[in-house]
Amino acid sequence: MPQAQLFLTCLGDQFYTRTLQNMTLLLERLGVEIVFPPEQTCCGQPHFNNGFEREARQVARNFLRAFSRSEAPIVGPSGSCVSMVKHHYPELFPPGTVEHETAVEIASRVYEFTEYLVHVLKVTDVGAVYPHKVTYHASCHYLREMGLKTEAKTLLNAVRGLEFIPLTEEETCCGFGGAFTVTYPEVSRAMMENKVRTILASGADTVITCEPGCLMNIAGGLHKAGSSIRAMHIIDLLASK
Amino acid sequence: MNNPVLENIRRSLGRTAPTSPSPRPAIYPPRQAESTEAEIVRSLEEVRKLSGVAQTIHADTVPDALKTLVAEQNIKKATAWNTPNLQQLQITHHLASLGVELVSPNAGKHDLALCDLGITEADYLLPETGTLVLKSSAEKPRAVSLLPRVHLAIVRPGQLRPDLHQVFDEARHDPYLVFITGPSRTADIELTVTLGVHGPKSLYVWMLEEV
Amino acid sequence: MSETPTYIGFETYTEHIPPSIPAAVQQATGRFVGGRAARVAELPHFEQLRQIASDIRLHTIENLDFYLERLAEQVTAAGGHVHWAATAEDARQIVLDLARRHNVHLVVKSKSMATEEIALNHALEAAGIEALETDLGEYIIQLAGTGPSHIIVPAVHLTKEEIAAIFSEKLGIEAPADPVELTRIARQVLREKFLRAEMGISGANFLVAETGTLVMVTNEGNGRMCTTLPDLHVAVVGIDKVIPDWDSLTVFLKLLARSATGQKLSTYTQFITGPRRAESEFGPREFHLVLLDNGRSNVLRDPLGRQVFKCIRCGACANVCPVYKNVGGFAYGWFISGPIGAIFAPQMLGTPVARELPYASTLCGACAEVCPVKIPIPAILRHLRRRVAEGDSLAPATMPAPIRAVAKLSAFALAQHWIYRLGARILPLVMSIFRRGDWIPSAPYPLSRWTKARPLPPFTAGFRQWWQKRKTGL
Repeated sequence: MPQAQLFLTCLGDQFYTRTLQNMTLLLERLGVEIVFPPEQTCCGQPHFNNGFEREARQVARNFLRAFSRSEAPIVGPSGSCVSMVKHHYPELFPPGTVEHETAVEIASRVYEFTEYLVHVLKVTDVGAVYPHKVTYHASCHYLREMGLKTEAKTLLNAVRGLEFIPLTEEETCCGFGGAFTVTYPEVSRAMMENKVRTILASGADTVITCEPGCLMNIAGGLHKAGSSIRAMHIIDLLASK
Repeated sequence: MNNPVLENIRRSLGRTAPTSPSPRPAIYPPRQAESTEAEIVRSLEEVRKLSGVAQTIHADTVPDALKTLVAEQNIKKATAWNTPNLQQLQITHHLASLGVELVSPNAGKHDLALCDLGITEADYLLPETGTLVLKSSAEKPRAVSLLPRVHLAIVRPGQLRPDLHQVFDEARHDPYLVFITGPSRTADIELTVTLGVHGPKSLYVWMLEEV
Repeated sequence: MSETPTYIGFETYTEHIPPSIPAAVQQATGRFVGGRAARVAELPHFEQLRQIASDIRLHTIENLDFYLERLAEQVTAAGGHVHWAATAEDARQIVLDLARRHNVHLVVKSKSMATEEIALNHALEAAGIEALETDLGEYIIQLAGTGPSHIIVPAVHLTKEEIAAIFSEKLGIEAPADPVELTRIARQVLREKFLRAEMGISGANFLVAETGTLVMVTNEGNGRMCTTLPDLHVAVVGIDKVIPDWDSLTVFLKLLARSATGQKLSTYTQFITGPRRAESEFGPREFHLVLLDNGRSNVLRDPLGRQVFKCIRCGACANVCPVYKNVGGFAYGWFISGPIGAIFAPQMLGTPVARELPYASTLCGACAEVCPVKIPIPAILRHLRRRVAEGDSLAPATMPAPIRAVAKLSAFALAQHWIYRLGARILPLVMSIFRRGDWIPSAPYPLSRWTKARPLPPFTAGFRQWWQKRKTGL
């Protein structure tokens, strides 16, 4: 039986309990034994992306400790956090050190959720049913850092009853950008409002993303706009029966 | 020689003395030429896509073509390069017989600026972009393709070059070259494309085919 | 506009942007992005060209002294004059001296970023010399007295009605609100200036070391006018513009217009090697090249940061940048805007002046995807953020102390899982005070900066308990 370590991500941990439950149940249904390292906190990306590399290193050390206890692959519901571990952890520690070795080893077995489904488990149909018009926002790091261009759409394509509606400017950033939302709130707002406008114009009743950050931003923006369009993490849609 | 800029560059790059670099990274090879006919068709199509007027002509249809151009563009004054090819085609003679006043290409800028038409011949033609390549000399003054509101360039199939590479191989030691790809254009006001903002508003390219 | 800024307040500026600016900018970027995509699709080996272009630019930067020396030799051999300007002030003085020596009253200028960088127009005007921008967009904003909102179409934020009003006021003529008519008026006014000017000033897109050739790319023909009609041509060019040879040009000329406007080639590309050889061929009697350092040679110390000098100024990064598209060019506070401006200004002006700019990005990565010379813009943004937050060998930290304290405290808490887990139990309780139904419509500072644009979802943090219960229940 394959094992996977659950990487909650701090946004998932704080805001998306149901998504993490669905992720657990889905993976278990697909025959994966879930390992949950409780010492995990955050991946350190907020510090890393804002120039606080020393602090990012501190947080990363905790992550490396938490996920080194098992040799199982690490699976998270965020392309951005996974990319941090996969691409930036090895940069955080000088080559030749034990920490660097650990970082490289951990980086080699961390997967974003849809990536894990499609490329490791080789599953594209999870048996979900969702008879709705669905559009999709391609999250930046998921798309460009992880290079995941087709995985989400492949999974959505297999969902019964789902009508897929392409989103205008699907690949344009929604304005989340982590601390960016509070550093330049007005710019972040303008970007979010552009994204919300394209979603409203799409005619879909559901918008999907693979990123908790984008989800918070877009769902909040839709609510503020008085829209009844549902913003969902792809995991929650795939859990629909 | 003491050059503080170069010295600081060397310091920043961690060098104490000048060094010879390793060879420059290799470039991408040139495109291959298609048949001459195809290259001509392509060149003229590209000129037309950019709102230029392009056609093939023969030596004996030059007078008629000039007559049409003069009428179409209401040409009163013109200037032309003093090159053997253009002389052989008797361009200035034909224009004079159409009642067009001719100005020497070596006249001053103020005189050339009053011309409606400037005639040149291209030294090279690039099919992929419909680009005319013009050299400069006393016989080929730069202002002739610039100041008049209409520019006519005559080109022969022998001037076709498949890519930039061949043009550069032949012309890199020329003191001046200009590539002309379509008429002068701007989109600076509300993104509306407007022709002839500073340079010629109309560009004619005649491909002179040997009979 | 165009004096060297002493502090660039990106946040302050972006708090109140008139909605007309992003609207106009987005029209322009939309057109250029579409055009670029079409041209790229036509060129099957576009990715290879990008890689080669990147390699050549890196190679040139790493051997900049060699290529500059060769360039200077060749320009001189071709009968041109080379001037080395270590600072902006040096460059201004060189140009002013030339103007005085030739008794110049009127200068016509072709668009040049380097002269914007050194605020040359101010210096010329202060010396009583009329300096006229002749690119239509630059001419309009010079008349209007504003800065550029976009690198390719600098006046795109102005409507035809506004431009007509500016023309009417400044030129004292009846100008209709029609792009074609306005263009015709500008042609007439500027034509007379071109014919009268004693000096033409330009920049360059490339300097070819092999032969000392200056390459200039324009669409309007004003660049040709400036370098063909006046007796004196002065080019002010950053030392980063040099390329090894003509073979390299085959790569860059294919990438530049395609990436910038979606043209295959711009209308006019000039290759100028020295002054005119014969008087009757036109062109300047004297050709002067001012090579501008102005801090570039210091930036070279940074192996990652110096990749900013690979830039060929196509503007593709700005055209796809969601931040730029919502703030426009003014927000970046200097002559160069968009993602490339956000990595250029902090290095050239220093992080004390431009520390806000590296943060003017969501690190979405769209810029790096289109850059024709593969500048790793997001990596350089992170690198410069580090310089701001922690300081490095080139500059001390400039981040305000309270933010640094927050970063340190939060990292400490996140590195001790028990503190984090304790926090995760307390936070939902505290935040429940602010909860209204399914949302937190208004949260205390600093989350108030989030909630002023959209509500926050409630803190649930329920997974760990669920997992625990399930495990013990099983």
